[in-house]
Amino acid sequence: MKDQLSALIDGEFDVENAEHLIKSVKSGGELKDCWQHYHLIGDAMRSEMVLSQGFTERVMNALNEEPTVLAPHAIEKPLAKTTFFKSNQIWSVAASVAAVMFVGLMLLQQQLTGAEDSSPVEIAQSMPLEYLEAHHAAAPNGAAYYIQNVSHSGTGQ
Amino acid sequence: MFKIAVVTLLTSLGLASFSVTSLAAEDAWLVLQKAAFAARELNYQGIFVYQNGNQVRSVQITHMNNAGQELTRNMVLDNRVYNKKSPAKQPREVFSQGSDIVIFHPKNDKVIIEKRRGQNLFPAILPVNLKSLKESYTARMGALDDVAGRQAQIIELIPKDAYRYSYKIWADVQFGLLVKMTLLKEDNEALEQITFQELSMLNSQDLNWFQPSIDLTKKYEMEEAVLPSRVNSNWIVAELPPGYVKVDHIEFMVNGKSSPVNQMIFSDGIASVSLFIEPIAKGTRPKIGHHLIGTTHICANVIESYQVMVVGEVPLATVQQIANAVSFRKQTALNR
Repeated sequence: MKDQLSALIDGEFDVENAEHLIKSVKSGGELKDCWQHYHLIGDAMRSEMVLSQGFTERVMNALNEEPTVLAPHAIEKPLAKTTFFKSNQIWSVAASVAAVMFVGLMLLQQQLTGAEDSSPVEIAQSMPLEYLEAHHAAAPNGAAYYIQNVSHSGTGQ
Repeated sequence: MFKIAVVTLLTSLGLASFSVTSLAAEDAWLVLQKAAFAARELNYQGIFVYQNGNQVRSVQITHMNNAGQELTRNMVLDNRVYNKKSPAKQPREVFSQGSDIVIFHPKNDKVIIEKRRGQNLFPAILPVNLKSLKESYTARMGALDDVAGRQAQIIELIPKDAYRYSYKIWADVQFGLLVKMTLLKEDNEALEQITFQELSMLNSQDLNWFQPSIDLTKKYEMEEAVLPSRVNSNWIVAELPPGYVKVDHIEFMVNGKSSPVNQMIFSDGIASVSLFIEPIAKGTRPKIGHHLIGTTHICANVIESYQVMVVGEVPLATVQQIANAVSFRKQTALNR
């Protein structure tokens, strides 16, 4: 069945005879996972832009968690009844709140930076291995490429 | 009459010996040029072994040039991941098509799909254009040797200065393909070696091998996309070590860091060095000094409020010089 599914995705299986496949994919379970895997693998191999699994879900969640912006809501009523000038005023209030927040953030950031112990530490004491990986990933020289992620055992962390 | 003949003979002998040495150097570059092309144009399959310190990996490679497009599959044969559900061992597989690389990386009950860009993977480690190599290295014809049961010509790439290591390259006499490479330190100690153990040419054009072996008991996941973007920032490296040129400049986000990391890649044609620049994060102490991991030198420096990190399989002098030559060009209306 999985072979048939794979063939179907590759366009090597007669769609008219694939009703049973489509039904079982639709009913969920193992074959549905298969369907997704095959497509993901296919997309990866065809070098197409791939959104990771659950992307839509994550975007929707992110949207849900996004704090509700109050300013546009407040405009709703004034827009209907009041003049353009008034609604404009609300906007500028919102803008200045944003500006104050921004300046506040900047100050906070500066304070935080000022408070830390910024004396440099010898690299050997805490080896940043992520740089090594990034180097091998972007500037592959020879076989270091196949060894990535495994070569770092035994080094001081 | 006899005297003249002797003089002519001597002169021609002198000329001959002179041209033999320059021809030898020329020949050595020709062998390398052929090796660079052969790795990309021939269809072959084999197993090579990579050694670096106490690390050893066997990799099975299949390479095909399909109407001008290079297709490669590398299967890492060691370090296979065992899975309780399916006793069959699943190797890590690296597919490349042109310069796009897709890695299928089994991790516990998952297979992570990683996408990379890259080039010059073994045995195609030599650039097609040897110009930059000729500036920094001298090529010398060596002896004949046996590699994977085949006759190979040894070529030595000797650096012209102390900013790079030397290479020993074995090229198959019959096909020209690079079959072995050794990276040597100043004192001739081998740092890294890659060599074919088995090698055969492929006659078929069948492309069925160009697909991953799928384990249905596992969950396939795309690695969180860290899509690097090309940038043109204000970082400049005042004086690069001779022969090194900037080949790439990307910017990417790292998990848990609020600012992007700049990465510049420098190469002399065969050796490459990465330079990383990022703002020093709150609450972290900047790093300084240098360190050696395996064959990789790392040098850290602090420039203004930025952490500079230079990484490469090159001598310490090279990473140090780059780390000290970084400066920030103030953004002005002119160069904006």
